[in-house]
Amino acid sequence: MFVDDPDSRLHPLPHRLDRRRFLQASAMGAAALMLPGCGGPPPPDGSQINYWHHFTNQTEIRGLQRVTEMFLAAHPDIALLQENIPNKDFMAKFTAAVQAQSVPDTTMVTSERLGNMHAMNSLVDLTDRVDNWPMKPDYPEDRWQGISVDDRIYGVPAFAFVDWMYYRLDWLEEAGIAGPPTTLGEFQDTAIRLTDPAKGRYGFGMRAGDGGQFIVVDMLEAFGSPIVVDGKAAIDIGKATEALRFFSELFTVHKVVPPSAPNDSYRQIMESFRTGQTGMLWHGTGSLTEVQRSLSGQQFGTAVKPAGPEGVITRLSYLYNGMMKSDNADIAWAWVSFWGETAPALEFMEITGYFPASARVAQDERVTGNPYFAAAIESVQVGRLPHQFVGADAWGRLTVLPAFQKILTGDHTPAQAAEEMAAGLEKILS
Amino acid sequence: MPMGPRKGVFPADSNPSIHVGVGSRIALISETHAWAYLLLLPSFLLVLAVLIYPVGSGILLSFREMRLTRPDLGTAFIGLRHYRELWSDPVFHISLVNTTIWALVGTTAQFVCGLISALALNRGLHRLLPGMRLARVLILLPWVMPSVVAGHVWALMLDSRLGVINDMLVRLGVLDRYMAFFADPQTALPAVLVVSTWGAFPFFTLFYLAALQGIPDDLYEAAGVDGAGLWLQFRHITWPMLVPIVVATIVLRMIGMVNAPDLLLVLTGGGPGHATQVLSLFAFQKAYAEFDFGYAAAVSVVMMLMLMAFTVVYVRISGVTKE
Repeated sequence: MFVDDPDSRLHPLPHRLDRRRFLQASAMGAAALMLPGCGGPPPPDGSQINYWHHFTNQTEIRGLQRVTEMFLAAHPDIALLQENIPNKDFMAKFTAAVQAQSVPDTTMVTSERLGNMHAMNSLVDLTDRVDNWPMKPDYPEDRWQGISVDDRIYGVPAFAFVDWMYYRLDWLEEAGIAGPPTTLGEFQDTAIRLTDPAKGRYGFGMRAGDGGQFIVVDMLEAFGSPIVVDGKAAIDIGKATEALRFFSELFTVHKVVPPSAPNDSYRQIMESFRTGQTGMLWHGTGSLTEVQRSLSGQQFGTAVKPAGPEGVITRLSYLYNGMMKSDNADIAWAWVSFWGETAPALEFMEITGYFPASARVAQDERVTGNPYFAAAIESVQVGRLPHQFVGADAWGRLTVLPAFQKILTGDHTPAQAAEEMAAGLEKILS
Repeated sequence: MPMGPRKGVFPADSNPSIHVGVGSRIALISETHAWAYLLLLPSFLLVLAVLIYPVGSGILLSFREMRLTRPDLGTAFIGLRHYRELWSDPVFHISLVNTTIWALVGTTAQFVCGLISALALNRGLHRLLPGMRLARVLILLPWVMPSVVAGHVWALMLDSRLGVINDMLVRLGVLDRYMAFFADPQTALPAVLVVSTWGAFPFFTLFYLAALQGIPDDLYEAAGVDGAGLWLQFRHITWPMLVPIVVATIVLRMIGMVNAPDLLLVLTGGGPGHATQVLSLFAFQKAYAEFDFGYAAAVSVVMMLMLMAFTVVYVRISGVTKE
C-alpha cells in the first residue's frame, strides 16, 4: 500500500501529484468521463413510449392500471412509461416540455386545453389515422368536435365527463319532496327545504373553489348569455348578472350552501356529500364509485342537472389521448387508439364510473342495466360541449372564478362581477 | 539578483517555443497573472451559465412580446409596455400589497419563533435536560416536510367540517362554530401565514442554535459573576454575537417568502377573490395559465428589484457590514 511505503513517508511530494500532474490527470479524467457521452444515449429500440396523464383519485389510477395491463397483454413487445402530473400543474409541465422540445410520445388532452395545446403546435395531426380507424363509426360527430381544430383531428376519445347531480334520496323522502328538481327554480326550493342548520345539513354543496369556474360559466349560459360568438366576446351583461345573482344568492341570501364554499374544491364538496353535510351535489359520473363507497342505494340517487330558464346546464366533455411526436408513431397510435376500443372502455367504466365515449359501448348491458346511468344517458342527449377558444382555461381560472368568489365574499355585486368577466374575456381574445 | 524569466517576460534572444516543452510553458504561465484568470475561468463560465444568462434573459424577456398561445404576435421588442400594463393592473396592485404583508409578517413570525425555540433548546442542552437532543431533531421536522404535503395536512386540520383545529377551538370556547378560515378574505392570508410560520421557523432555529453553541460559556459565566441576569446576558452577549447570522437568515428567508407560491397555491389558489394573491403566484399564473411569458417576466423583474432594494436597505440599516 502507498501509505506503507517507507519511501513515500520520507519523500511524500515527489511520489504524489504535483500541480502539473494533477491538471494532466484531471484533463484525462474529464476526457475519460466524456467518452461514453460521445456515443450518445443508448439506441432506441423503437418499442418504448411514454404517456402523460393527470388522473387524480385512487379509482382513476386503478382504472388506468387495468387498461395498461390489457394493453401490455395485447402488445407484449411494447414498453409503456407513464407519468402522473397533477392536474393543476399539467399545463405548466406541458409548456415547459414544449419549450424544451422534450415532449412525451402521448398525452391526455381535454377539450378546454385543446386550443392552447394546438396554438403551441404541440399535437400531432391524427386525421388520416382516425379516418382509417375501424372504430371511428362508433364515435358520433360530437366526439370529434371536441378534439378538432380547422377540421383536423388531434386525439382519440377515451371516455366522457358527463355532468349530473347526486341527491340524498333519504333526505328528499324525509322532507316530503317527490323527486329531484328538474329546473333551477325547483332546485333552489329543494335546497332551502333540505337545509337544516340544527342538523348540520346544507341543501347544496357549491364548488366555488378550484374547478368552480366551469359551473359558473354553465350558469351564464343556462340564463341565456352566450360566451363567444364567431371568435368574439359575446357576454350579455344583463343575463349574466341575473345568472350570477341567482347562483350567488344560494350562498349569500338563502344560506343553503356551507360557509366554506368560496374555497371548496372537489375534495371538500365530495366529503361534504359523502359525510351527510350536503343534500345535493353537481359533479360528473367519474365520482360514482366514490359516492357508492360511502352511501347506499337507499341513500342517494342521480339525476340530470336542473335546467335554467334558457337552457340546460349539463356539460358534456370527452377526455382524449393524443400524440406529441411522431418518433414511434405506430406504437403511440396503438396506445392512443386502444383506449377507444370496446373492452378497455368497458373495464375502465366499471372501475371508475366514467361514462364511455363510444356510442356502441354506451349500449352495452353493463351501461344500460345500471340504474344510476339512466341520468347519464339522458345527460348525454342534452349536454353541451365545453368552450375551446384559445385562453378559455385561463379566463375561467383567473377571471371567472375570482370574480364569482368576490360576490360570495361581498366584495362585488353580481353586475360588477359580470362586467369583470366580460372585460377579462375581451382581453384574452384580443 | 538572479534574472530568470518572471511574469511572462522572456529574454529577448530566447524563443520559449523552441527551447522549452509544453510542460515547461505551463510552468512559465503559471507564474503570471494570466494563470489566476485562467483558473477563474471555469467558475466564471459556470456563473455565467447558471446565473447571469438566465437572469439576463428573464429581464430581456420582460421587454418582449411572448405569448406561447399567440405565435401570430411574434416576439417583438415592445419596450416598457408590460410595465405600463402592470401599473394599471388592479390584480398586480393587490398582489404587491399582499406580497409585502406575506413576506414581512411571515418572516417576522418565523424569526421570533425560531429565536425563542433556539434559545430554549440551547439552554436545555447546556443543562442536559432529558429529551433535549430528541427535541432538537423533532423541531426540524416541519422544515423537512415538503410544503405541498404540509399544505394538504394543514388544509385538513383547518377544514371547516372535519378539521381538528376547528374542533379544539370550539371545545375551548374560542369559536362558537366551525370556521372556514380559507374561505373568508379576512382570515385566509393569516391562516396561510400560520401554516407558513409552522413550516419555516425551524430554518431560523437551526441556524441560531448552531450560532448559540459557538458562543463561549466563559462570557456568560463572567457576566453572571458581574451580576448580569438573563435579559442583560441576552442583550449584551447573545444578541451581538447573533446579529450577523440574524441578518443573513432574514434576507434568505425574505427571498424565500417572496419567491415561493407553493403553500398559497395549495391552500387558496390566491383566493377567495384575490385575497391571498401574491406576486409569485401572479407570475406563475400569467406564465402557465395565460402563457404570457413576457408579462410574467415583468412581474418577476419587479419582484427581483423589490428584493434587491430590501436587501440593500436592510443590510445597511443593520450595520452588519461595518465590521
